[in-house]
Amino acid sequence: MNPAVEIQKPSLLKFWGSRVISAIAAIAFCAGIQSLGGPLADNEFLYRIIVLSGLYVTLAVSLNLINGITGQFSIGHAAFYQVGAYTAGYLTVRMFSTQQIGEVPWLILMCLVGAAAAAITGLIVGLPSLRLKGDYLAIVTLGFGEIIRIIAINIDEVGGAYGLSIVPKIQSPWLIWALAILCIAVCRNLLKTAHGLPFLAVREDEVASSAMGVSTTKIKVTAFVIGSSFAGAAGALLAHYEAFITPDMFKMEVSFIVLTMVVIGGTGSITGSTVAALALFLLPEWLRGLKEANGDALVVSAPQLLGATLAIIAYIALARRVRDHYHGKPIQKAGFQFGVAAASLVLFFLFKAVFAQIGGLAGHEGWEINSLRMAIFAAVLIVIMLLRPQGVFGHHEFSWAWLKSLFVKKKQEAS
Amino acid sequence: MIDLVTSGALAGLSLDPSTLPQQLVNGLLIGAIYALIALGYTMVYGVLRLINFAHGEVFMLGAYAALFVSYGFGYTADAGDIAGGTWTLLAIMLLVSMISCAIVGAVIEFFAYRPMRNQTRIAALITAIGVSLLIQYGGQLFLPAQPPPSISEKVLPADIRGSYDFNLISPDPQLESDLAAAKTAADAADSELEKMLTDTGQREFDLEPEHPLRAAKFETIGEVRSLSAEIENSSVSVTVPRGQAVMFGTVVLLMTLLWWLVMHTRTGRAMRAASHDFDSASLMGINVNRVVTITFIIGSALAGAGAMMNATFLRTPLTPFFGFMPGVKAFVAAVLGGIGNIPGAVLGGFVMGLAETLVVWAGYGQYKDAVAFVILIVILLFRPGGLLGSSKVEKV
Amino acid sequence: MKFRNTISVLSCAATAALFLGATLGCGDKTTSNGTNGGNGGGNGDAPVAVNRPAPLGEGNSVATGDDVIKIGLIASQNGNLRPWGVDSVDGAMLAVKQINDAGGIDGKQIKLVVGDSNSKPEEGKNAAEKLVSEGVIGLIGEVSSGITAQLADVAKERGVPLVAVGATKPDITTKGSNIFRVCYTDDLQGPVMAVFAFRDLGLTKVAIVTDVKQPYSTGLSETFRTKFEALGGEIVDVQNYETGSTAFNGQIANLKAKNPQGLFLSGYFNEVGPFVYQARDQGIGKEVYVFGGDGWDSAEILNSGGDAILGGYFCNHYNENDDRPEVASFLAAWKAEHGGVPGTTMGALGYDATALMIDAIGRAAELNSASVTEALEATVDFKGVSGDITLLDQNGNPPKRAIVVELTNDGQSFTKAYEASEIIGE
Repeated sequence: MNPAVEIQKPSLLKFWGSRVISAIAAIAFCAGIQSLGGPLADNEFLYRIIVLSGLYVTLAVSLNLINGITGQFSIGHAAFYQVGAYTAGYLTVRMFSTQQIGEVPWLILMCLVGAAAAAITGLIVGLPSLRLKGDYLAIVTLGFGEIIRIIAINIDEVGGAYGLSIVPKIQSPWLIWALAILCIAVCRNLLKTAHGLPFLAVREDEVASSAMGVSTTKIKVTAFVIGSSFAGAAGALLAHYEAFITPDMFKMEVSFIVLTMVVIGGTGSITGSTVAALALFLLPEWLRGLKEANGDALVVSAPQLLGATLAIIAYIALARRVRDHYHGKPIQKAGFQFGVAAASLVLFFLFKAVFAQIGGLAGHEGWEINSLRMAIFAAVLIVIMLLRPQGVFGHHEFSWAWLKSLFVKKKQEAS
Repeated sequence: MIDLVTSGALAGLSLDPSTLPQQLVNGLLIGAIYALIALGYTMVYGVLRLINFAHGEVFMLGAYAALFVSYGFGYTADAGDIAGGTWTLLAIMLLVSMISCAIVGAVIEFFAYRPMRNQTRIAALITAIGVSLLIQYGGQLFLPAQPPPSISEKVLPADIRGSYDFNLISPDPQLESDLAAAKTAADAADSELEKMLTDTGQREFDLEPEHPLRAAKFETIGEVRSLSAEIENSSVSVTVPRGQAVMFGTVVLLMTLLWWLVMHTRTGRAMRAASHDFDSASLMGINVNRVVTITFIIGSALAGAGAMMNATFLRTPLTPFFGFMPGVKAFVAAVLGGIGNIPGAVLGGFVMGLAETLVVWAGYGQYKDAVAFVILIVILLFRPGGLLGSSKVEKV
Repeated sequence: MKFRNTISVLSCAATAALFLGATLGCGDKTTSNGTNGGNGGGNGDAPVAVNRPAPLGEGNSVATGDDVIKIGLIASQNGNLRPWGVDSVDGAMLAVKQINDAGGIDGKQIKLVVGDSNSKPEEGKNAAEKLVSEGVIGLIGEVSSGITAQLADVAKERGVPLVAVGATKPDITTKGSNIFRVCYTDDLQGPVMAVFAFRDLGLTKVAIVTDVKQPYSTGLSETFRTKFEALGGEIVDVQNYETGSTAFNGQIANLKAKNPQGLFLSGYFNEVGPFVYQARDQGIGKEVYVFGGDGWDSAEILNSGGDAILGGYFCNHYNENDDRPEVASFLAAWKAEHGGVPGTTMGALGYDATALMIDAIGRAAELNSASVTEALEATVDFKGVSGDITLLDQNGNPPKRAIVVELTNDGQSFTKAYEASEIIGE
């Protein structure tokens, strides 16, 4: 239940060793991302997707701090992202040419500025959260995001509806991922130390935690400020990476997608947020690139689409039944789940064959994968939520110990 | 007209007292539609504590249902000359919209929300977002949206065109008769020019501006303009387009029906009980599943009615994304009034409508959407539970 | 103690970040480009030789062994721009089919690869990057200025030529010397409607209605306003709304009180139709003319606007009743391929952009992006459906005809054509 309980006093060597190794691994990872640019020079699209997914990791993990760890229902994360992007972008346009600073130090400075601006915004939004709960807080954060966006549309100084071009363009892939890693590190350390306990306490029971002497006000505002400052820094990086920002890039939908990443990954699980951010960001992009054997864009025919829809419905119904009503050994349960999946696949081919017999359907020219990809995205959300409402990772975090315990437990139960 | 501030941050502010009565009426007209959609949000929330994000999409589907009915009666875009519609046709469109929305709402509840009933609320919310996206993007595959179709104007019976005018300060009757005469003269000049153009095969703008027929047209139309400007400046009137008046009347009727249903029927009592305490209600022998289904049916049907009237009387072109913004606005209205509270949703809708119109009145049409949220935040700061809602202290 | 743990890890990460900044900083790809987006730009000036920056990348080339030439098209196949996006795809496919049926270029077939921008600038950029990575020799698209601005960045960086379909925002082509368009710009369209309103309709007091959410609309309103005031007219009122609004009672009541002689609605037809309908219903009479830009271009405006919109004027790229032979043959080919007529002008412009690209590929010395760019720049009097297109020394903006059309029961009736020189020269 409580990860902080697991903390034991480690030996000095182990303590520093793990930290130094983590830091080296982080540096190596960032350097790896940066150097990928060489081999991927021919496939700039892929590189771009890899780099930008780092921003979504930052967004999801930082929203997770507010939403999952502290339990404050915020659905306006795009607002902080936007504040960071516009502040940093505007300052670069205005000031960069007059400063004698190298581009990367300037970018780091802009990240800090964007983070500060977003943190102040987070403070402003966080204060009403003292009075508001649940859905009321949600709608206020949502409304706040919209207000920020509409204001940006109406200020000509930052380009209005057309957007703001940022000169110079400073692309720094490693910094984007360094920010993501920093964000993960901060949240992870918060959870693993005593500082994280009040955050969890506020989530679990606000009344009880305030009775125990936790300053719920302070905790909530802190969560908002930390979460939003990371989003602001991500915004600053986005602005410089794209060199062009428009208010439309920060629509409500962005907040929803980030929220979805948090929930799909498992509220409160940093691992979950990270994995879900990567998966949900990459899924639509991967679908975009699907091809037929001859290199044309993949076309999904009407029988295939209908067959897949029916097969998925059948799969959900069966899989839920196995999940809820079968109380055998885990390994057997997993076997059943596998069987259900296989059966659904068979059903798909069956339905497809049946529908292909219907003249009107077979004659339909079908849809290109491009028109389908957002619908597929939505279907994936629903399927995951119906089958695993606690999110893919639930409250769990990835750790070697967890992996081992999972394995060992399964073994014990199986034997 | 008073220009309070002509420069600085408030540039563009113009508070014209002569249009204020009109704007207040406009606010009520717009607010009625918000209120109607907000009822769906608030009823579902009241019973399930679920923000039904797909409500806007149900609204969108209702508008498409109305469109298909009008197509079914032959009112397609390329129908050519066809007799004007009747009130019966409008009633059929309204009913079909409401029924199809009710079905869609019940189906969504059964397949997507019922399995999530015992899960965390945020998981249910994500499911709702997923359903909303699925209907938008899935609808794009099947619904005509290219270009966005709108319901043919010909479905409207002749007596629903035009407007009801109420004069608060009447203009000089002399001016009005002058205007009527000037309009006749202008029409005559125009048709004379048209006739000449058809006869000679020329195009109007190839002629010299000094051409006598063109000059006559300009002169007569100028007379119409100056007379109507004089009337406008010397009078204060309220104009209610008949279509919007019908819309308002229907909304009031539907709300009255809803009130009767909730307050005076067994089903209504069951809904109130489930809304008060879901679990206790089920322990008291209330079939909560039935209550939830009925709630979805009623809320969706109201959205369907709103959609049909929006598409028909305000003539909004339909796209699969058309429900999103009205949905969000209505959701804001529901929260504003105190989500879960039925009179609150109605009040919230009207407050939103009035606030938006007054912002436009002050010359800030570009901030119309933002102001809805500003008002929401301000009100929630002072009344954290919304206008009519209660902010309960959390029980330990 | 535990606090120190947090700090130590944090500082470790921060040091790492700074260290990396020092070592890897020099490897960063940095560029300086573009002009600041913002106001609509100058108006009425003769084309000035702008120093357009040269593309940075080398672009793609077709290997000698290949028997296909790939060109990329970015279009909004999802989202609210879908009607225009799909039309541009259909137009482009028609152009590609025609050339391939005729044997292709030097025996090589043209292959059109379509990328979806989902009506969003950043996704448009993703799609463009992807197409360039797949080896397209040139890019076509988009219909929206906001998305095209992003495509222009990609095109400039990667050195692949871009032919914009319907992006009328003036400053897009200044981003790079390999960026072109086949449509006119708002610098022409706004002034054309101003001249038409002032001279031909004899209006002196006009109100402007803008969709503030659309850069297209705000830019067009600005260029119209500048020209109309320069001519001596007066703007009596400005009202705004946002894309997706459905009820316009508030704006209409304000407009009515100002007694304008005409309304310039610079938005898209989705909102303009209902706006005009509601305005007439609220007592703004037929003597108040309504007119706008090419955002009105759709058969659906007649449906959503109903009788109220009849007699409205707008500026368009081409007209189906235009007597140019290219128009007739295009419409016949469209009917044979897709049935009916294109829903929006983007059918014709998508066709023109693609045909122009193919034409340039045919004229190019070698089958690589740089040669195609040169060939595009050298275009003189390309016979497009929407008019003759000349790109030589025009900074990517072909001087084109603008056609004012009137909405009638039968659709769009040709009213008056303006040559670019007539408007710009004044």
